[in-house]
Amino acid sequence: MINSYRMTRAAELGSLAHFRDFVEEVCNAQGIDEDTAYDLKLAVDEACTNVVQHGYAGMNPGSIMLDMTVSEGEVEVRLTDFGHPFEPSSAPKPDITLPLEERSMGGFGLFFIYETMDAVDYVSGEEGNTLILRKRFEE
Amino acid sequence: MFQFLQRKQEPDKFGPDPDQLSIRQLLDDSSVPISIKAVLNLPEHARQRLLRVLLPPHLLARFQIKPMTWRGPDGDEHVRVVMRPESGLLRVEARHAGGAQDAFYSVELQDNALNGIDLNLLVLNDPMAPRFDTDFDEDGRQTQFGTLRRNLKEEERAMAAGLAPGQVRSGLQASRDVFQNLETFLAMMAHYSVFLEPLTYASAWVFERRGFAYVRGHKLMDDIQREFQDGGRLRKALDGSTPFRRPEQWRTVRGRAWAVHDGILAEMDQTWDGLRMVKQIGQHAGANTFPDAVY
Repeated sequence: MINSYRMTRAAELGSLAHFRDFVEEVCNAQGIDEDTAYDLKLAVDEACTNVVQHGYAGMNPGSIMLDMTVSEGEVEVRLTDFGHPFEPSSAPKPDITLPLEERSMGGFGLFFIYETMDAVDYVSGEEGNTLILRKRFEE
Repeated sequence: MFQFLQRKQEPDKFGPDPDQLSIRQLLDDSSVPISIKAVLNLPEHARQRLLRVLLPPHLLARFQIKPMTWRGPDGDEHVRVVMRPESGLLRVEARHAGGAQDAFYSVELQDNALNGIDLNLLVLNDPMAPRFDTDFDEDGRQTQFGTLRRNLKEEERAMAAGLAPGQVRSGLQASRDVFQNLETFLAMMAHYSVFLEPLTYASAWVFERRGFAYVRGHKLMDDIQREFQDGGRLRKALDGSTPFRRPEQWRTVRGRAWAVHDGILAEMDQTWDGLRMVKQIGQHAGANTFPDAVY
């Protein structure tokens, strides 16, 4: 059985808590374990922050649409915005082998998403820019 | 955040440029988006077959206009198609009577810079309802829906009659049908979205209800909602200083729309411009910037 949920809010920092709560509510309703829910919340938080700070830079922010689809041990999260398109795969991974004091600030959001999700994809076109995150969980 | 994020310098175009589209391409691949310009360049009868979709049969039937011929019982043509192929602009207008001053239905579509399609204009007027000349000022000059200049006397009458800014007559309550047909037309053209710039606060709210999200201006709509609450800057500015700023207007979409039309956003150092909305074909975004709204 496939269950789909959607929330659309303005791309502003004040919306982040609403998106986190939404992810948690869906995970609770679908019986998804706490660890998976935690990873999803953080990934959504990082991705939305990115859209707020970069995707809609220089304009009155538009919408972020958060879609969650839960089916057969997998959650798919789709975050769609209509701002500037980007390519997350073009971002270099931070060097986590360096000592803490030598690491550059930032760059860990994308790294975290790739590390915790089972699949990450990004498409851009007439329907907007969509970051697709997939994560499997124990049923 | 992604420190190493690389934004694209130029957004991708949604489809091929109209001049590069050949009939052969269209025959080969039904997923290639067709521009308005390409539609306008079709032979007349092929074009009319496609454009019929833009006119909901139920709407035409209300005025005894036949959906196939666009003619009324008198045999006169009631539908006018305005075409500007050079700018990829198409307007379809329907009138209840041949010599009627106003179209009861008018829709204007245009190719945009990314080879997507913009909905420039959508008007649904009840031709039997009283008319308010808000579209002309007292010197007879066009107001451009009150955006260039205003006819305050007529606007005040229109507001008292329950109209929203930009309307000259009350609506036809047919926007649901019209949007269904519009989406069908765009799906036939292999477009995934349609874009528009809402003229007024009321029209932005209506388009939210029809499933549009915001390319720009979602935060502005949230800010407006917040500032119309108790203690907010817009609420305080509803001080009766003009007929369009009465204290109770925060309660309704139309009341807010008239206050915004009257320039109340200056209290927030904002103006009503730059908003842009998008509808994904077949999808309802679920944006709701005025929960539990009364129109």
